[in-house]
Amino acid sequence: MSDIKYLETHEWYLINEEVITVGISDFAQNELGDIVYVTLPEVGQDFEKGAPVVEVEATKTVAEAYAPMDCTITEVNSQLETEPETINNDPCGDGWMFKAKVNAIDDSGMSYQEYETFVS
Amino acid sequence: MDKRTTQLHSYHASQNAKFIDFGDWSMPFSYEGTLKEHDVVRNSSGFFDVSHMGRLEIDYSELDKISSLICSDLINIPMNKALYSIFTNENGNALDDVIFWKFEDKIILIPNASNASKIKSHLVDHKVDFIDKSLETVLIAVQGPRTIELINDRFEIPEKFSTAKSDNFMYARTGYTGEDGIEIMASNAEAGSLISFLIEKGIKPCGLGSRDTLRLEASLPLYGFELTEDITPVEASLSWTITNDHDFLGSDRIKTQLQDGNHKILKKFTIESRKIARTETIGMSGDIKGIVTSGNFSPILNKSIGFILFENKPPQNLIEFDIRGNLIEGNIVNKRFLS
Repeated sequence: MSDIKYLETHEWYLINEEVITVGISDFAQNELGDIVYVTLPEVGQDFEKGAPVVEVEATKTVAEAYAPMDCTITEVNSQLETEPETINNDPCGDGWMFKAKVNAIDDSGMSYQEYETFVS
Repeated sequence: MDKRTTQLHSYHASQNAKFIDFGDWSMPFSYEGTLKEHDVVRNSSGFFDVSHMGRLEIDYSELDKISSLICSDLINIPMNKALYSIFTNENGNALDDVIFWKFEDKIILIPNASNASKIKSHLVDHKVDFIDKSLETVLIAVQGPRTIELINDRFEIPEKFSTAKSDNFMYARTGYTGEDGIEIMASNAEAGSLISFLIEKGIKPCGLGSRDTLRLEASLPLYGFELTEDITPVEASLSWTITNDHDFLGSDRIKTQLQDGNHKILKKFTIESRKIARTETIGMSGDIKGIVTSGNFSPILNKSIGFILFENKPPQNLIEFDIRGNLIEGNIVNKRFLS
């Protein structure tokens, strides 16, 4: 398993063999404020890199989380349907959004240090 | 251009407030989070720095002139009362919604931050004299069910919608959250000690984020969204404010609308989910089109709520919203959101 990587669009992903786990960064949840609703994808749905996968409703605004690479959804975090605030409380842990089988590997995300520099 | 900040900006910054641009102003959006602050005001007590709003002092010699510019009866409401009203233009449309505080010796007029300059020009145009107290004072709204018990050792508490004053403060038992509380005008010199007093009492600072979710839940309009220069008080479902029996700017059009009922109309709605119909979302009631003016999540109702402006009287309560390409159903509600 590699380290968590980050995208300029504020998602994080973790590659474990052929499966990625994806969520949004602590910076992103903090910018959005209280998250009240998420629209999750369906298992089996295909997404191309950069396509919107999850819609995140916060009291302040609505945002989307994008696919970090071409992938097929294998699992969604259904806890978020009833407890979307989990993303605020633990964005890179229990607040993960979906897992997906990688169809075209693209591990070009930023390291934590690079991302910290990017957002500061 | 640098944004304006209130006298209490350094306090907000010291509390790690997140700031948001609001018109010409940089104001605290939240401290610990909008939903937490919402909860504090619904269950305990919180305070808002609303010093970005205007504060104009007006002498009673100007009463008749000012009365001809608003839709409500400022003349006959008793002394030491507060009055919510709307400045209208010659078409009866809303220039601003404001609060008046009547004291024995003067009237305080509180326009919205975004409209303060416009209202001042409007008063000058209509030869209404006033003294602008905005730069030398702060305005703090203390709101929530525990507010009165927490502050009554320092403030003599007036009846609801009434005003009072002490050596250092002018205040009224009014607010914009649907909760009990008072709004306090203090000199800049007193601002720091007022905030210290509130904090000592355990009253928490709250930002504009929760002020917006609270006012929406309390079914209260916000200028720039529900109210604009393109809508009359009748169309904004604020006919209850029209108590001025004399002629006022645009009163002919307003009277016509009250009689014939043929006009656009603002309604409240709920959606039985947390999916938010945000500002400018289109909603259809039958073949009558509406546009959402404000929409957000209601923490108390645990669903989405908002205001929608229909082109004419909606034929049914069911609304079909187009939320980013998805058809979502909602319902018009005629009662207040909060019972």
